[in-house]
Parts: sequence; structure tokens; C-alpha cells
Amino acid sequence: MAKLGSESLSDLVTGAVFLATGGGGDPHVAELIARQALDKYGPVELIDPNDVADDAFVVALGGVGAPTVSLELLPSMNEAANTLRAFEDRFGRKVDAVVSFEVGGGNSLIPIVAAAAMGIPVVNGDGMGRALPEAQMMTYPISGVSPTPALATDYLGNITEFHTTDIMQFEREIRRCALTSGGMVTSAEHPMSGRQLRDSIVPRTISFSIELGRVLRKYRGNAHRIFEPLQSLFRSSIYGDIFHLYTGKVVDSATRIVGGYDIGEATITPFDGVGEALKISIKNEYLLARISDRTVASVPDLITILDYETSTPINAERLRYGQRVSVFAIGCPAFYRTQKALEFVSPRCFGFPIDYQPVEVLSAQTTSPRG
Amino acid sequence: MRIGIDVGGTHTDAVLLDGDDVVSSVKSLTTADVSSGILEALESILSDAGAQESSIEAVMLGTTQFTNAVIERKQLSEVAAIRIGLPSGDGLPPKIGWPQGISECLGDHVYMIRGGTLYDGRPLVALDQGEVDRVIADIKRKGVKSVAISAAFSPMTPEPELVVAEQLRSAIPGINITCSHRIGRLGLLERENAAILNASLLQFADRVVDSFGTALKTRGLTCRFFVSQNDGTLMDAEFVRRFPALTFASGPTNSLRGACKLTGLDNAIVVDIGGTTSDIGILQDGFPRESNIVIEVGGVRTNFRMPDILALGLGGGSLVSDEGRVIGPESVGHKLVTEGLAFGGTTLTATDILVAAGRANIGAGQHRVDLPPETISNGLQTIQSILNLGIEKMMPSSDPLPVVLVGGGAILVSEKLASASAMHCPPHSGVANAIGAAIAQIGGEVERLVSYQQLPREDTIRQMSEEARRAAIAAGADEATVRIADIEETTISYMSEGSTRVRIKAVGDILRRERGG
Repeated sequence: MAKLGSESLSDLVTGAVFLATGGGGDPHVAELIARQALDKYGPVELIDPNDVADDAFVVALGGVGAPTVSLELLPSMNEAANTLRAFEDRFGRKVDAVVSFEVGGGNSLIPIVAAAAMGIPVVNGDGMGRALPEAQMMTYPISGVSPTPALATDYLGNITEFHTTDIMQFEREIRRCALTSGGMVTSAEHPMSGRQLRDSIVPRTISFSIELGRVLRKYRGNAHRIFEPLQSLFRSSIYGDIFHLYTGKVVDSATRIVGGYDIGEATITPFDGVGEALKISIKNEYLLARISDRTVASVPDLITILDYETSTPINAERLRYGQRVSVFAIGCPAFYRTQKALEFVSPRCFGFPIDYQPVEVLSAQTTSPRG
Repeated sequence: MRIGIDVGGTHTDAVLLDGDDVVSSVKSLTTADVSSGILEALESILSDAGAQESSIEAVMLGTTQFTNAVIERKQLSEVAAIRIGLPSGDGLPPKIGWPQGISECLGDHVYMIRGGTLYDGRPLVALDQGEVDRVIADIKRKGVKSVAISAAFSPMTPEPELVVAEQLRSAIPGINITCSHRIGRLGLLERENAAILNASLLQFADRVVDSFGTALKTRGLTCRFFVSQNDGTLMDAEFVRRFPALTFASGPTNSLRGACKLTGLDNAIVVDIGGTTSDIGILQDGFPRESNIVIEVGGVRTNFRMPDILALGLGGGSLVSDEGRVIGPESVGHKLVTEGLAFGGTTLTATDILVAAGRANIGAGQHRVDLPPETISNGLQTIQSILNLGIEKMMPSSDPLPVVLVGGGAILVSEKLASASAMHCPPHSGVANAIGAAIAQIGGEVERLVSYQQLPREDTIRQMSEEARRAAIAAGADEATVRIADIEETTISYMSEGSTRVRIKAVGDILRRERGG
């Protein structure tokens, strides 16, 4: 069984920011906490989904709320483990392993922190294979796992229980809970058996994230130079192929209202200013990439932005006017291309009036500028 | 007329500008006491130009003294770091993740107390007066003279920091305090780090400002003086005493701004070649391109914005080996003038390659440098390829840009670089930093979390732009020249009513006073 220690953390974090597709928040604080936890309690067991016993009791753990909030309202060392302990106390069942909501950003690390403190394994995989903004978009509920019984703790240690079995209602309730508790809570939810876990998880994304981080570190440099190593990495993964969408500089960023959501938009133009701009729609994550009015990639496929010079992935809150960037798209795990998954994650779920088309189909219709 | 002075680790440069024209300039050695080197440089440019002291409107100082203090861990004071934010952040104390050396250098005085605010301005928990009293008593007992105070969401709601600062001041008269909300934006850990580093420099800043003021007075200069900061704007002397950390990246900024002024190029690659390194930066619309990555100073994460600089181990004093095929990164540094072959020394340096090639006249020509032709041609080629590779890494696109050479080591480049569309090595390029300091502008900045539902975006931006303009004018900018330089909006996702963080910066030329004023 694989062990995950503090020496893998920085690669895991880099990979997780890449897979967060702009969301997930700045993982620096979560990394500091994870490093302390792993140094204090030793490496955690990274258990393969196939090795989890059928009747094992697994709980998904992570932060819910505004990522920017946790830059100020810092998490505490014991918050993740305390949430899990509260879950065991309230619902009277010992948790055998924890699993991540999403491999993107700080939420890939919170289960590791809890697992280290509790001396239980963390499952190698997650419920998104990327980052997405809402609970109903996870593979667990889409595969039929009930979100509750669940509970959330806030920075004061206050506990809120959730008992609805309706995922949309759960999302509304926990979102309201986060908003009234300082903007961020830690949630233990989607309790499931080992068998349910295996049927719903996006497998082995934690170890993939570490590998991705390693490749980004090893081939650090100009975004064109990193493309081939990334291509071969994604080719042998649960993800689809990677496509280079665009290289240019960020010339604008603004917000507008679509379907009742605040949606941000970034505009990227070629370095020399000649040619059509790429527009990226943002709601926490980079959701839609268009050149003129032509969609070149959309959620649930992954859209990621790298700093052009260093290939460092840039999350949405760090995207700034004048930055030189390369934009890539990656086919999402096959699960998200099924009809039942697209009901929750297609572009229409985010207010975009288009149907989902896979990035490789869109890419075949387009010639990307400045390859 | 204006004077720009750049105090570097090795050289102290000064220029006298009349409007846009360089009237005189000098490059002299930095002295151990700094001020006598400044006096010498002032004497030289004023007498060269035959200028009257009363005709000098302002003196601008660029200095790397504060950066070097942090990197070399010298001149730093012990700092008490107080964070107001518990129960959040328990287990993540101030100075977490710092290199041990610098953390120890500032002493073991870390305090975490309850309080702070949430994103919406409500209290996180109430401030506990008993805790505050105990912290103040402990700082008093230890005799620590500098304090950094941080609190959750203080850029939006500074009151908790201000309350504790006020109580500290009345309990310990004369104590030096940096409140984090005055020195950084959202991102508590980075803002707190910046505040702690700043607090550690406060006593040194007093000494630097005092000695600079004395040097000016000694020379009969009674005009105001300013110090240039990271973003190419100026601070007045009193501001530097409180915020010395804002000078951390002023060196490269001044060199880029100076290169812009000297060539009139707004978009170019600037290569600043010194004794040990070549620093490559990008001029974008007349200002330095900023780095995208989190900036570390002396190994400490901060949220300062700094120019994107690629430092290569190639300078005038770089050691040459393998018959010219390897140059640097080791260097004799400022000892070039005694150890280099061209200066009668025994070490083969990059400068000697150019001298031997007959392309540079160095060391008064007293010492001939004879090298095998192969070493010379290899050496010239190595210099070219190191710089070309670096420039290609930094180029914003595959279209070549003009390259501006500045700095004392610019003589290393004697022919066109393949990566450049054109080469510029303007007169006075050796003192580009001092020129950059002399033309620096005055800035004012406001940052707030707003709701466009409460006040429409247009009105919010207008209101905050006016505040930024007023801040710039209050800092000494000429009202007629003030313009909005940057508007940054960040939406805090998931927040009801779509909260947006807005930061606006205004800049303007320094207000010119009546002569002798």
C-alpha cells in the first residue's frame, strides 16, 4: 500500500492547482497545514479504491465556501479531524477511510490532514477529477450516494447537521450555512460503503496529481516546451487528450450576470495583438473558452491556464491584467460525458445556452492560433 | 532640477536632471557609512554642472539597503508579531514556513489572540481585553522595540489592528508598529510576513533616513527628498520611516524605468549587467512587467508586486574557464578592479575577454591582456549565447524586441544579440538606476470589498478612483498630472450579493515646488 508523506506535497499541490481549472483557491495555507500534520503524525496510507473493503465506511471531507475567504479566515490545524470526530460522535459510526470532494486546490489536502490525525487511510481518488463549484456536481451524488447524514463545522467549532436526501436541497442548505458562518465551513458528507465508493469515485487522481506536479516541476519552462511531456502523461491517464487552445496575454477581466450567477470573464489576446481574442468564462472555475463566438472548450472538460514563461498553473484569483499565459484544455474523465452526469455539469447547468461538445470534437473544427 | 541617487551594494550613482536632460552624472563607490559616499557623489554632480543648491527641487533616492538587510540578515530588529484572529488559524502561527535563520534573527516573540473580523465586517469573535493586556505586558517586559500587528480581513476592517496598536502606543511610548492593513492586500499570511519584515527594518529606516537627511543638509540642500519603491513610485521621507519594506524591488524597477527614459522606448527588453549578474526585465508600456509568482524576500513569502526579473550568472567580474567556453556564475564581483587581468590582477574575467578582443578600453589601458584567439572567440560566443538564451526565455512573443543595455557591465556586449531586433546602449546607461529614481512618480492606492448591488459598479469605481487620486495628491503628487494607473477587481465567489474586491492605484508626477522651496 502506498504511503503519502510530506515530500510529495509540493508536487501534489502543483498538480492540484492545474486540475483545479482556476478554482479551488490558493492551496498554500492548506499545504502548510498538511505539512505540519504529516510531519507530526507521519505519512498517511494512500489506499487504492480497489483495496477498500466492500463494507468499509467512507466519508467525503472538504471545505465548502468561498476560496478567497480562507486566505483570511485561516483554517486551524485540528479543524478537519474535529469535523470527522464530530461526524463519528453524532452518527455513531467509526469512519474507516476519508476521500476528497475534488482533487483541485486545497480540497485535495483536507482529507489528508484528517487522515493523518486520525490514523486512517485516505482514498486515492476524488469526486470530481477536477474542481467544480457545487455539491450536486460530484460523482458521488450523481452515482446515487446520499449526501447525508452530513455535518459541517465552522471556525468556532459550531456544528450543523444535514439530513435531507435531496442533493440540490443539501447544496442550498450547506451553502447558506457557509455564508452565515464566516464564508467557509468544513463538511463531512456523502457517507458511503466501500462498494459505493468504488462505483462512484474518479480513481487514482491523488497519485496522478503528484505525477502531474512532478512533470510540471521537471520540465519547468516555456509553456510550449511542456506540451509534449503533458501530452504523454494525459494520454496514459483516465483523462482525455490535452489540447493547446491559445497563447497570449490577459487584456481584460470583468464580471456579468448569466442565469442568476455572477460569472467572470477574462479576455486573452495574442502577444502581437493581431488575431481573434480568446474569452474564458469563469465561475470559480474556468468553464467556457470561446474564440469569437465559437466555443473551443467547455465544462466538464478541463480548461487550465499556465503562466507562459514558467508553466505554473494560475488559479482564477491570481489571473491579472497583463499576464502572459497559455491556455490548455483536457478531455474530462469518461464518467462526466455520460448523460446522467451531463444533467449536472453541462454548460447549460452554468447558464450557458449551449450543449456540451467534447474538446476533441471542437478542436477538430478549429485551428488553434500560434501553435 | 532634480537629483537621482542610487545606493547599491557596490556603487553609489548620482544624476542631475534638468527637466528631461541629464546635466551631469557620476558613479562612485558605496562607502561603509553610506552617507559619505552620497556626499561625494552629490559634490561631484553639483560642481560638474556648476549648479546652485537652491535650484534643486527634489532629491530621489533608490536604495537596496533594506533588501540587503533582509537577505544578509543584518541591521534587523527583533519583532513582536501579534496576530488577531483566533480561533481561526490555530496551529498556523506568525512566521510559519520561514527559513529558520531569519525567523531566529527576529526573536521568539509570537502572539496569537482572539479577535478580527469576517468578510462581511462582523466580528470573528470579540477582542479579549485580558489577552491584549497580557501581550502588551509581555512585550514591555521583554523590551522588544518593534511590533507587527495583523488581523483577519484587516484590509476591509482595520479597527482590530488599530485598537491594539493604540493601546501599545500608550503603554509603551515610542514603540515602532507596523499594522498589516497598511502594507498589503488580502492574503493574511503574506500580508503578515510583509508587516513583520517591515517592522524589523523600522529602526534601520530611521538611521538611513536620518543619515541621508544629514548628508543633504551638509551639502546645503534643503529641498524635500523621496525614496523610490517597488512599483516605480516615490515615498516621502516620513513614509519610508514607516514602510521601508516597500523599497524591496526598487533596484530593478529603477533600472527599467531609467532605460525607458534614456531610450524613449516603451516596449523593450532591458539587460542590466553588473559585476556578478545580468538582470533581464521587460518594459511594457513604459513600466516593468510584473512577476506572476509569489515573491519571496530572503526566503519569506510576501504579497509585494515586483518586476519579473530573470537573473543570470553573468557579469563583468564573472570567472572564465574551459578556454572561454564557460563563464560564471562565480565572479570576483566588485574586486574586479583589483583582481581582473585588465586591472593588473591575476584572474581571467569576462571583462578581460572584451579587453583582449580590443573591444573595450578598461583599466586605463595600463595592463595589456593577451589571450589565445580561441579563448577570445569562445568567450565572446559564450557571452552571446548566455544572454540570448535568457532573453528568449523572457520574450513576450517570438517577435524580437529592442534590447537596452544598462549597468556597469554593459561593455560585455559589443555586437548585436541575435535575439534582439535592435540594440541600444544609450549614454548614461551606467547610471540608469539613478535616472529611474529621479523620474519616479507619486502614487496613491485604495482597496476595499464592495457590493455593486449597494452601489453600482460605475459609481464605486468613480468614488474609489477619487480616493486614490486624493491619496496620491496627499503623498505629494501634482494634481494636474494624476491619472488612474490600475484598476483591479476580484469577485469573492459564492458570496451573497456578489462581493467584489476593488483595488485602484493613481499615479502622478511629483509636485514641483517653487525654486528654493
